[in-house]
Amino acid sequence: SRLLLLLVVSNLLLCQGVVSTPVCPNGAGNCQVSLRDLFDRAVMVSHYIHNLSSEMFNEFDKRYAQGKGFITMALNSCHTSSLPTPEDKEQAQQTHHEVLMNLILGLLRSWNDPLYHLVTEVRGMKGAPDAILSRAIEIEEENKRLLEGMEMIFGQVLPGAKETEPYPVWSGLPSLQTKDEDARHSAFYNLLHCLRRDSSKIDTYLKLLNCRIIYNNNC
Amino acid sequence: QSPPGKPKIIKCRSPGKETFTCWWEPGADGGLPTNYTLTYHKEGETVTHECPDYKTGGPNTCYFNKKHTSIWKLYVITVNAINQMGVSSSDPLYVDVTYIVEPEPPANLTLELKHPEDRKPYLWIKWFPPTLTDVKSGWFMIQYEIRLKPEKATDWEIHFAAKQTQLKIFSLYPGQKYLVQVRCKPDHGYWSEWSPESSIQIPNDFPVKDTTMWIFVAVLSAVICLIMVWAVALKGYSMMTCILPPVPGPKIKGFDIHLLEKGKSEELLRALESQDFPPTSDCEDLLMEFIEVDDSEDQQLMPRPSKEHMEQGVKPMHMDPDSDSGRGSCDSPSLFSEKCDEPQAHPFKFHTPEGPEKLENPETNLTYLQATQSTSREGKIPYFHASGPKSSTWPFPQPPSLHNPRYSYHNIADVCELALGMAGTTATLLDQTDQHALKSSKTIENGEEEKAAKQRESEGCSSKPDQDTAWPLPQDKTPLISAKPLEYVEIHKVSQDGVLALFPKQNEKVGAPETSKEYSKVSRVTDSNILVLVPDPQAQNLTLLEEPAKEAPPALP
Repeated sequence: SRLLLLLVVSNLLLCQGVVSTPVCPNGAGNCQVSLRDLFDRAVMVSHYIHNLSSEMFNEFDKRYAQGKGFITMALNSCHTSSLPTPEDKEQAQQTHHEVLMNLILGLLRSWNDPLYHLVTEVRGMKGAPDAILSRAIEIEEENKRLLEGMEMIFGQVLPGAKETEPYPVWSGLPSLQTKDEDARHSAFYNLLHCLRRDSSKIDTYLKLLNCRIIYNNNC
Repeated sequence: QSPPGKPKIIKCRSPGKETFTCWWEPGADGGLPTNYTLTYHKEGETVTHECPDYKTGGPNTCYFNKKHTSIWKLYVITVNAINQMGVSSSDPLYVDVTYIVEPEPPANLTLELKHPEDRKPYLWIKWFPPTLTDVKSGWFMIQYEIRLKPEKATDWEIHFAAKQTQLKIFSLYPGQKYLVQVRCKPDHGYWSEWSPESSIQIPNDFPVKDTTMWIFVAVLSAVICLIMVWAVALKGYSMMTCILPPVPGPKIKGFDIHLLEKGKSEELLRALESQDFPPTSDCEDLLMEFIEVDDSEDQQLMPRPSKEHMEQGVKPMHMDPDSDSGRGSCDSPSLFSEKCDEPQAHPFKFHTPEGPEKLENPETNLTYLQATQSTSREGKIPYFHASGPKSSTWPFPQPPSLHNPRYSYHNIADVCELALGMAGTTATLLDQTDQHALKSSKTIENGEEEKAAKQRESEGCSSKPDQDTAWPLPQDKTPLISAKPLEYVEIHKVSQDGVLALFPKQNEKVGAPETSKEYSKVSRVTDSNILVLVPDPQAQNLTLLEEPAKEAPPALP
């Protein structure tokens, strides 16, 4: 049993590949982590979150969405579509740091609430495989972590700049809780589809910013 | 002739997240020339578009260039087959370009054999990122993988290369022709195809790490380890005794354990009795110094002013023919007088009595040196004094009528250290035995010996305050045990390593002593005639206590 425990722990550590301990033990106060480290860390976390989201979506799709055509309902279903995010490389490269970072922060904040409810509702879903639940829980945690990191980066890259507008609010909770199983599964599908997309956006923008700011477009 | 069969979209792929291509598979053409069109609409738009480019990707493909490619948007794509008879549409494919990224294989794979001067030679593999991928801006992130094998081998050796565009291979077999391929993968997406093979011939004289020698060395050392383990297992015990000789335990000469196990106490005692007594052959070259303790009542414990005032420090054997108390010396008619050829100091082993039960029975033939801590009446720092219940610790001849035990006093300091060394057991022992000791000790303290009972500051013990707890103060107990005959110890023998074996000398000449204990050597005598016993293995001069008491001739059993 000790060997098993050792294997499990090492597996967890290997699988994570994410630094989850705070860099500054004293908190964000006086401690100045280098921007390069902050970006490295943020990129790692965003990459990890996107991986988890993709896996979670694929699991759900495999288990609950086969032949159901949920994808057709997923068009325009994301609560964050109101955010004016760049849609290709040229647009993204022409977007200023500040705008991009505010977009990232907005996305991260707007997902706090849905992630929380996602965990709760997935728990209540009958027969929900642990693969989905565990990833949901992990994503919720990592999202908070990434948000903290982004705020620090924002403070360093653009000191004095203000963080913008309120973020889009999610209102899909009732649809997650309907009695109709198909409707409920469809709602879950949409949520996971949007989560996968938004985590990809955050990941891409961060990697762009990283190469632009830290490596001077010479990654 | 019929309408065309339903076409099917095979897949769509984006090589760099900036453009993408879709492939479809035509259905049956229904016997008529069939045209294929691809139509799509994007998420959030209502307008339907047609494929902007049917040519670039080849037949039955549609190529979407940068202008027409949006990321994070679902494309709903349909292929239509049109012939004269009708139109047939495929099932729509919902595509998000973000998730269909599959790069081209890396380009320009080059192989080079390098022979640096002071290092091992290696194969240097280099390549370039695939076309259409913008790595510099960070839009596209790539990882690489190399595989190689000798031409004739079946299995590929795979190396992961992360973001670098070169790799060095050291483990190569000379004389072989190697094939090398490389492929890549975006951070989120599909692996590319393997690049075309590159090959290189390793020359025959290519020096290689000589692994066979190391294998031989490893096997040899493993064999040696096994042999050693086996030898240790077989002869472990004898090796252990050789390396770590067993600590000699206390032995009682003449005490046959086997007899004891059998429960034959009679024979046991007889065996003890039958020992050479006094011991002869094994003690000849040992120091025969010992201390005589006189338990005569009119012997005083108070050091007489005329006597030497025993100061601290080890004193040589004090020979005072006037009093034989507390002094075992070569010139005193004692047990070992004939043995005292060499007045060397030998250590006495300090051996506390075992078991409070022995103390309860004063008649038992047990001797022990009991160190108890008692404070003086003035309540000063306690000092040790060796005492046995109604027995003196030093062998000396006493008339049976003597009942006032004379005790030898040990310097607190040394005995402290000694006792502390056995703190746990002895403390408890002494706690319990203390009462008995107190009685006897009080006999000394009371009466004229009271004055003699000086307290000595114990340097050693003063730094050990916890001693107080371990050693209760026999302040309050004062019953005189004068009525009972006193026992005292006579030296049974001195063993090879200077262990003094004592046994009680019975006033009534009760049978042979059963047990003997070993005592440490005396390190010094204090001015209150406290004999300091320490477990000092080194040879030191034996200090004899000068007891200013009436002497009595030592009586041999």
